[in-house]
Amino acid sequence: MKVEAIEYGDRKVYSVGAFNRGVSSWLARLPTVWVEGEVTELRRSARWASVFFTLKDPQDGSCLGVSMARGQFDALRLELADGARVHVYGRPELYEARGEFRLRALSLERFGLGDHLAALERLKTKLAGEGLFAAERKRSLPLLPARIGLVTGNDAAAKRDVLTAITTRFPPANVLVAETYVQGPRAAGAVVDALRALCREGVDVVVVARGGGSFEDLLPFSDERLVRAVADCPVPVVSAVGHEQDTPLCDLAADVRASTPSVAGRLVVPDLAQLLERLGRARAGLERGARRGLERERRRSDGAHERLGRAPRLLVERGRAKLEHSAGRLRALSPKATLERGYAIVRAEESIVRSSKALEPGERVEVELADGGFGARVEEIQ
Amino acid sequence: MTFEEAQRELEEIVQRLESGETPLDEALKLWERGEELYRFCKERLDAAEGKIEELASRAESAKP
Repeated sequence: MKVEAIEYGDRKVYSVGAFNRGVSSWLARLPTVWVEGEVTELRRSARWASVFFTLKDPQDGSCLGVSMARGQFDALRLELADGARVHVYGRPELYEARGEFRLRALSLERFGLGDHLAALERLKTKLAGEGLFAAERKRSLPLLPARIGLVTGNDAAAKRDVLTAITTRFPPANVLVAETYVQGPRAAGAVVDALRALCREGVDVVVVARGGGSFEDLLPFSDERLVRAVADCPVPVVSAVGHEQDTPLCDLAADVRASTPSVAGRLVVPDLAQLLERLGRARAGLERGARRGLERERRRSDGAHERLGRAPRLLVERGRAKLEHSAGRLRALSPKATLERGYAIVRAEESIVRSSKALEPGERVEVELADGGFGARVEEIQ
Repeated sequence: MTFEEAQRELEEIVQRLESGETPLDEALKLWERGEELYRFCKERLDAAEGKIEELASRAESAKP
């Protein structure tokens, strides 16, 4: 379309109508696209050929005027309430009479919960296919974390719940808190940044906590970037997002899922009182064991010692008894002992008389007794 | 020599003596050796007991 300009010397000047027509024809060359947003300020009148509404970007509040042929709009029977999420198929247009830019809708679809759920389900299937939620990926939590990272909203009840649960069980816990957006368009990226920052600072475990909220409030915690960051986190992650019935994808990617922020707090630290009690019991057992072992060895040594001397002493006793016995026998064999019992030795001519046949009557003999002797003469031989 | 080695040797000596087949001279030598081993074991046990008491009193004072 040719746009006529009026020339004043070397200046080309357009009338408003010509300018608008020119812009309008240029805009008309742009392609037809789908635009997503929330419907606000819906204006419909039987006197108008078109209905009008403003399409608002829920993330940053940008606005876009939309018009749609009234007959077409009514035929859809959408009954759009303020804030309804829609997909608009249309092309940019300039309302020439007022120089207003807007989107001329050719078609309009409600994009609701079901669509979000479907998109979420697709993402879930895709990530599960990559093994992001697999049980064998889950790491166990450290027994005694030196430092705990906490990602939570600023001034959130979730933060208070986690911190209370941690310090009740384990007062000396060291918690590094990263406050961040937990809702809205910037939440997913912010949580990812917070996670990475905590890991750079050096923590043993991270808790991601957010209280309950609407389905849409919790959507950032199903954002692909966030879910991947949780799965890739170099330290174990405990996820406590929303209530029991909500299962944002980050809960599935986390190493441990806690039903509430308080539960998450209790999961990441041991019970100090219980720990001390167990330690005390172990120490007492140690001492008892050492004493018992010592006593056993002492009994063993003493027992051996007692037996040690017994055998040699016995040997000596036995030797002594044997010796006495021998001495006795020795003594018994000496003739003196025989004489003491009343026997006598008879000698004739210096030799011992062993037979009566060796003697003659009248022969002199010497008789020896135990305590001396006497001389005698033989009277008769029997 | 470790405590266990001394203890084991002491018990072997006792067993040999109790078998009653040892000549007296040898028995006396074994007895002497046994007494030596017993003294060694006892010293070790006394030292161990002292250590236990020390650790126990240290544990006691470290109680919160």
